[in-house]
Amino acid sequence: MNRTGSANAFAGLLLVLPAALLLTALYVLPMLGLGRMAFNETGPTGAMIPALSLTTVLALLEDSFTLETTWNSLWLSFFSTVLALLLGYPLALFLFRTTSRFKALLTVLAVAPMLVSGVVRVFGWLALLGDRGLINATLMGLGVTSGPVRLVYNYIGVTLGLAESLMPYMILALLSGFGRLDRACEEAASSLGASPWRVFWRVTLPLSLPAVVMGTLLCFVLAMSAYITPKLLGGGRVFLLATEIFDQAVTNVNWPAAAALALYTLLLVMLFVSAYSALTRRIAP
Amino acid sequence: MREGAGPVLGGLAAAVYVLLLSPVIVVIFISFSADSFIVFPPSGYSLRWYERLFASEPLMRGLRLSLVLAAVVTALSLLLGVPAAFAIARGEGALMRTFKAFFLAPLLLPTLVLGLALLMALQPWRLTATLPGLALGHLVVTLPFVIRLMVTTFSTLPDEVEAAAASLGASPVQVFRRVTLPLALPGLGASAFLAFLLSFDETVISLFLSGPRASTLPVEMVRYVEGRTDPLIAALSVLLIVGTLLIVLLVDRMAGLTRVVGR
Amino acid sequence: MVHLSLANLSKRYGETLAVADLSLDVEKGESVALLGPSGCGKTTTLRMVAGLIAPSGGSIALTGRDISTLPAHRRNMGYVFQSYALFPHLSVAANVGFGLDERGVGRAERDRRVAQALEQVRLVGLAERKPRALSGGQQQRVALARALVIEPDVLLLDESLSNLDAKLRDAMRIEIRDLQRSLGITTLFVTHDQTEALTLCDRVAVMNAGRIEQVSDPRTVYDQPATRFVADFVGRSCILRATRETGGELSLGGVPITVAGGIPNGEAFDVFLRPQRITLAASDAVVAPARNRLPGTIHGVVFIGDRQEVLIDTPAGRLMVETASGGVRPTTGDTVSVSWSAEDTLVFPVASA
Repeated sequence: MNRTGSANAFAGLLLVLPAALLLTALYVLPMLGLGRMAFNETGPTGAMIPALSLTTVLALLEDSFTLETTWNSLWLSFFSTVLALLLGYPLALFLFRTTSRFKALLTVLAVAPMLVSGVVRVFGWLALLGDRGLINATLMGLGVTSGPVRLVYNYIGVTLGLAESLMPYMILALLSGFGRLDRACEEAASSLGASPWRVFWRVTLPLSLPAVVMGTLLCFVLAMSAYITPKLLGGGRVFLLATEIFDQAVTNVNWPAAAALALYTLLLVMLFVSAYSALTRRIAP
Repeated sequence: MREGAGPVLGGLAAAVYVLLLSPVIVVIFISFSADSFIVFPPSGYSLRWYERLFASEPLMRGLRLSLVLAAVVTALSLLLGVPAAFAIARGEGALMRTFKAFFLAPLLLPTLVLGLALLMALQPWRLTATLPGLALGHLVVTLPFVIRLMVTTFSTLPDEVEAAAASLGASPVQVFRRVTLPLALPGLGASAFLAFLLSFDETVISLFLSGPRASTLPVEMVRYVEGRTDPLIAALSVLLIVGTLLIVLLVDRMAGLTRVVGR
Repeated sequence: MVHLSLANLSKRYGETLAVADLSLDVEKGESVALLGPSGCGKTTTLRMVAGLIAPSGGSIALTGRDISTLPAHRRNMGYVFQSYALFPHLSVAANVGFGLDERGVGRAERDRRVAQALEQVRLVGLAERKPRALSGGQQQRVALARALVIEPDVLLLDESLSNLDAKLRDAMRIEIRDLQRSLGITTLFVTHDQTEALTLCDRVAVMNAGRIEQVSDPRTVYDQPATRFVADFVGRSCILRATRETGGELSLGGVPITVAGGIPNGEAFDVFLRPQRITLAASDAVVAPARNRLPGTIHGVVFIGDRQEVLIDTPAGRLMVETASGGVRPTTGDTVSVSWSAEDTLVFPVASA
């Protein structure tokens, strides 16, 4: 018995090992390399100088531009997450409750944007929000404005586009968290005299709070590291941690600075996640 | 009175659907535009952007590379991921739990950070801007994803059925081939589909790892949109949407995508 | 005085009629059970009374006032759900006080009434617990207190005891009955459990396929079922096929039988006999033929504890007789005779296939 047990364990190890080795090479070692890179220095010519110093990290922390991009990233992530929640919540609740026979199809439709390349959706937003896009054409056609309103290549467009790309994730998180939402509880509340609005406020919302926490957490993390949407909808006028990391690494080829900024972003996100979890655990256990 | 979702919620949901899907719908219209810029609604309709698309050498090269890359990545992900997932789902104890946590960890990291780390790690080996380099980069995302899906698939299989097969005289290999594998087939199909799509649409890691020698379709699309704003990309988008839709329908027939996405 | 009146109530889901033309009057302070198999429309009826679903036709009136179109939150019905539907995020006290908050009852008054309600259901000291920290029986009581504290016009109980184990169910049954009696609250009780219906209620409405088959006091429902369905669903029966003689009389296995209620029209009949209402007598000799008496042989005996079931083969078919298990033990193969009274002979036409 014992021998077959250890034989099984051995066989299991054999099955796991190839994947484990590959991921060690492609994930563990590169991440360690990234951490090490942040302690190298960059010379005046831009060439990397191998070192073990805090010069790069300190330079990053002293730069006022870091603070600015941090604020930009935090606010943008916050607003797009809130927007995704406000829009995604009614849709998720609708999908949770509907008795339509098209429920499965409607669910797939709601998460379908996830299956479409981000570049495609960004392109759609350019067509909607651009100077000659649908919104501006309508506004000018109605005589509301004489010239086009700037809706893309700024923070408005990025927030909108980011919120839309986050919504499928938000909807999935909400749907999986709505399990505690018992229809009978809502019926009980209305039989006890609560109007539909009061039922929502006193029963539905509190019961779905864990789902909201999960969804917002996920979306905030995704927003903080989103790159394609801010890059293309921001048109170089929106400065975020994510765009800055890429520019440092690829455009400036300043790897130590890029690595330091990536670690800084990672720590920032982790800090926010744990603070948020601690806070919400107290409110909605 | 309170059956189903109700008219208020239904109306709100409809409005959100419009917002959610409007970029994709707009893209479809623009792709048939006769204009030289992104103008919506277009002043006229034509197929000229589709013609231009097939004539675009960089985009077509990117498309070919992305298809080959996604196929290679999918095959490798299944080859390495399915056995690992099976061992984790069937194994017990702290060791396999540790392995599971280890495999799922990359999914928690932003692809931006992973991409940067991979760039720094693969550059010294001269693997950036090559097919093998890109495949290795994509595997960091697709392999954990396949393992996660397949662990769920294997552990939700009724284990009594396997025990029943064994009691009827089937050897472990036979049990796997005749019982476990057929039952896991829907999960396997879904894993393959999502791994393919994940690789095909992967943009951020590819942006770090692409170069003049090898550049994927999403990377070429980003470059194009950065440089010009004409409806060419819309035409390409429509082709991609149609292709995705076809695969979705195919997989739904096979495995029921709603079940997979709903997890 | 009629308190709650359902008139020609119906509910249609697409092609299927869940409730069909149902009429029922409930007196003030009365408790009525809606008894029937699952899918018979009893819960649908209860939910329409509560206003949780809209009727497709007919009306619901409370003390003469039509409330059919009022939404649930304006009806003042105390609904106890099968799953209890306690608010998991609120304490016991907050659960019970929920309806009072919605009615704008002041804080002090609310706390007083919540405490009183918890006392009524013997839950003093658990006010600050969350529902999930309570046992099934305690959760049931919270649900009851929550429905009663708003002083509802009608108390609606939906299979409220079905999630409890057998012993607790018996205890709760008595508790609910006493509470309902002492408060004099009009009650509509949905159940598929006939013991619950018969012991708990003043009247029982037996439902089948969206319709009420019979509304009577529990004894009448059992002794004089109005339809074949009621006879079959309430209590147990032995069913024997009877034949109509040329004189119009019925006979079972050649033995003429007397029926107290008279014989309905028709050709083929089934006779329903309650196993406890059949008298079993030992017979050494062949018994003289007599009305409502059949000779038989014991086929087998099933011992149940305080009772036993004796299976007897008669010329009319196999019968089951239930007797107390003490005394002389019947033996397989014994010849016996069985008899029953004309009042206990229930006759229904054979359902046309």
